Amino acid sequence: MTTMPAFHGAHVDGSDEIRVGLIGCGGRGTGAARNVVDAAPGVRIVAMADAFKDRLDESRTILTSRLADKMAVTDDTCFVGLDAYKKLLETNVNYVILATPPSFRPGHIKAAVTAGKYIFAEKPVAVDGAGVRSCLESFDEINKKGLGLVTGTLYRHHTGYLESIKRVHEGAIGDVLTAYGWYNTTMLWRKDRQPEWTDLEYQMRNWLYYTWLSGDHLVEQAVHNLDALNWIMGANPVAAVSTGGRQTRTAPEWGHIYDHFAVDYEYPNGKHVQMFTRQQDGCEKKVANEVVGTKGRAFILPRFSITGAQPWTLEAPINDAYVVEHTDFITSIRAGKPLNELKQIAESSLVGILGREAAYTGKRLTWEEALATPSLFPEKLEWGPMPMPPVPMPGVTA
Amino acid sequence: MAHDDDHEHATSSGIPPVSRRTFIRTTSVAAGALAASQISLPGAWAAGSDEIRIGLIGAGGRGTGAVQNAIKSSKGVRLVAMAELFPDRLAEARKTLADKVGAAATVKDDRAFSGLDGYKSVLQSDANYIILATPPGFRPIHLQAAIEAGKHVFTEKPVAVDGPGLRTVLSLVDVAAQKKLLVGCGLQRHHQQGYLETMARIHDGAIGDIVTARAYWNQGPIWNRGRKADWSDTEWQLRNWYYFTWLCGDHIVEQHVHNLDVVNWAKKAHPVKAVGTGGRQVRTGPEWGHIYDHFAIDFEYEDGTHLFSMCRQQANTAGSVSEAITGTKGFCQANDYVITGEKAFDGSAIKRKELDPYQQEHADFIASIRKGEPISELKMVAESTATAILGREAAYTGRLVTFDEVVNGTTSLAPPTVDLTASLATPPVAMPGASTN
Repeated sequence: MTTMPAFHGAHVDGSDEIRVGLIGCGGRGTGAARNVVDAAPGVRIVAMADAFKDRLDESRTILTSRLADKMAVTDDTCFVGLDAYKKLLETNVNYVILATPPSFRPGHIKAAVTAGKYIFAEKPVAVDGAGVRSCLESFDEINKKGLGLVTGTLYRHHTGYLESIKRVHEGAIGDVLTAYGWYNTTMLWRKDRQPEWTDLEYQMRNWLYYTWLSGDHLVEQAVHNLDALNWIMGANPVAAVSTGGRQTRTAPEWGHIYDHFAVDYEYPNGKHVQMFTRQQDGCEKKVANEVVGTKGRAFILPRFSITGAQPWTLEAPINDAYVVEHTDFITSIRAGKPLNELKQIAESSLVGILGREAAYTGKRLTWEEALATPSLFPEKLEWGPMPMPPVPMPGVTA
Repeated sequence: MAHDDDHEHATSSGIPPVSRRTFIRTTSVAAGALAASQISLPGAWAAGSDEIRIGLIGAGGRGTGAVQNAIKSSKGVRLVAMAELFPDRLAEARKTLADKVGAAATVKDDRAFSGLDGYKSVLQSDANYIILATPPGFRPIHLQAAIEAGKHVFTEKPVAVDGPGLRTVLSLVDVAAQKKLLVGCGLQRHHQQGYLETMARIHDGAIGDIVTARAYWNQGPIWNRGRKADWSDTEWQLRNWYYFTWLCGDHIVEQHVHNLDVVNWAKKAHPVKAVGTGGRQVRTGPEWGHIYDHFAIDFEYEDGTHLFSMCRQQANTAGSVSEAITGTKGFCQANDYVITGEKAFDGSAIKRKELDPYQQEHADFIASIRKGEPISELKMVAESTATAILGREAAYTGRLVTFDEVVNGTTSLAPPTVDLTASLATPPVAMPGASTN
């Protein structure tokens, strides 16, 4: 293999080996570690960090049994605690997977850029305007340093999405008039409170259900299909009006997030785009995008087809985008032209934040207003008491 | 026209039952076309005039408003009988009408009925133009009784709150047509010049094929009558009917039906299925019954196109009552009467010239009766009502619900008997994924 001029600060032994450090060892982090090893030759997992020792140990056991010699983590390269990521960044990893709850992402990205690492950042990358602003600064910094960042909005590396949206942009359905996104799904996991857990530990272990950690499900989960809407429209929304609430998942163990949203986004040129989400059991499920044009319609996920003037159906096999996103990234790194998707995902995260804040407040909210929203992150993060934030009330919540 | 009428009716004495001019015209019409006139005013011919004699059923704000609108709209219109469930509300309504209109809207004590059966007495009177303005839950039985009694009917929207009610109403469409009865409805946009011109252009292809649409009724909260110590549960629910689905249909049906109807009008179709979300997020106290305070529905028409619908009643939130329709060749902001694209149209000036649509609809209805060609809007309002119920059921259940399921629905939301003195539990708040409706 060729030498890797792009491996700033990580080029310690003259090889182009990808030495992965995993920050955030939950289900997605563990999955991403397995995906990256499958993505390209010359990849090893060399360090791990998590806020909780039991979570790290669990992940380490899985990865050890599944990855054989690709798993090169030792006791010395395992770090636990709220500052574990800092210690990991001091090791000789050159590729970090950031898979903690999203609210940590802006800070972790910034620290990883400072440390000169390539970054695979799970989606979303922020839960508030302040986090988005931080990411946009890091985006410039990554370009300046010749680093790279790929994110977990895997549709961008998915055969079906790529082929469909390429055709839409080539005019297969004429001019795009509107698009829709759906993330209507069931409830997700939850962990019962243990007597020894502080409030912070309880919230962090059930991070999905706290806006300051997850961004709410519109941001945390639906960002996939929101990102696709931005991709299809080729722009960011101008404003949003949104409804939402907490209708069935109302008990305190589900934190304070909503269980449904419906957002009416206003894109440039007066075009409106809608996003529907829910996390409610026993309801109609649908995860998809659809595009309406002057000459046809594109149906995106789970099948991929176009009707109208230029009908088309995807017949090629669909790739495993969880793996391919890492392949594309590593290929770009090894080619000396590392991808940088941070601006795109920061903006898509803000699309979610915009829709959420419009629902929480009941206001018509502009893009600029969403970008200006302050940080939801606690001023001082330490194990101990952490009040439960109130459930947002449209017309009441500021 | 309207200004003349306004002027004419401005006096406290109101208008005479039949003006001399109307009488002359009437008699000449009668001489020339007796049979047609007989058909057009069944049960009314005995008076030997084309007088419109209103029988009001449901004398709340909208009912008394509709009486005023009808009297203002045309000559030779007066109120002859009225029914209202609660005696205090009846007295209030009589005073309002006497104060605002005078003799033409003043009925004697023996023509003012209260109680649940009051409507029957109105239908037995010589009224020939029935205004139905009770809570929507009563509409199907009142419509049926009025049409069976051979009366022309103006019915407020919506016309049902559930499947059994819808089927009753749909079964009356042909009956009313056979009897040549007017069935006008309170979807007054159909009588607004700007909407009419805009829709004519859409139907003429001004925006090409309709490929997506948006309908909104986002506003703040509305009235609440509180609760008095001597009110039974049933009385409390009836007086606060808006907050009980068996009476109101929920606000998506009671209010947003207007906007959904506009999109149906443009599409010349109704949606075939829907998936939706909604809930009771802010208006959660028991005084607000059990209805939702927001809905967002993804409707789908037979041709696969979507209608995005959003409605809420929440204080201090962004408002909008509007319909936007996108076609392959243009875009229409229906409520502004504006079309952009190849065949652009700006009808915004019409708005300033339009008559009050609540008055215009009665003018149109009464004219159609007098012409012997009574309008029937019953199928239209039934389908738009069904569309709104479809949206509500999609949100309540969380399921994909079809239009046919709604129309064929067998669950009646009303209690088996309505007893004013009875205790009656507030129905549970609908829980998506758990509702059995």
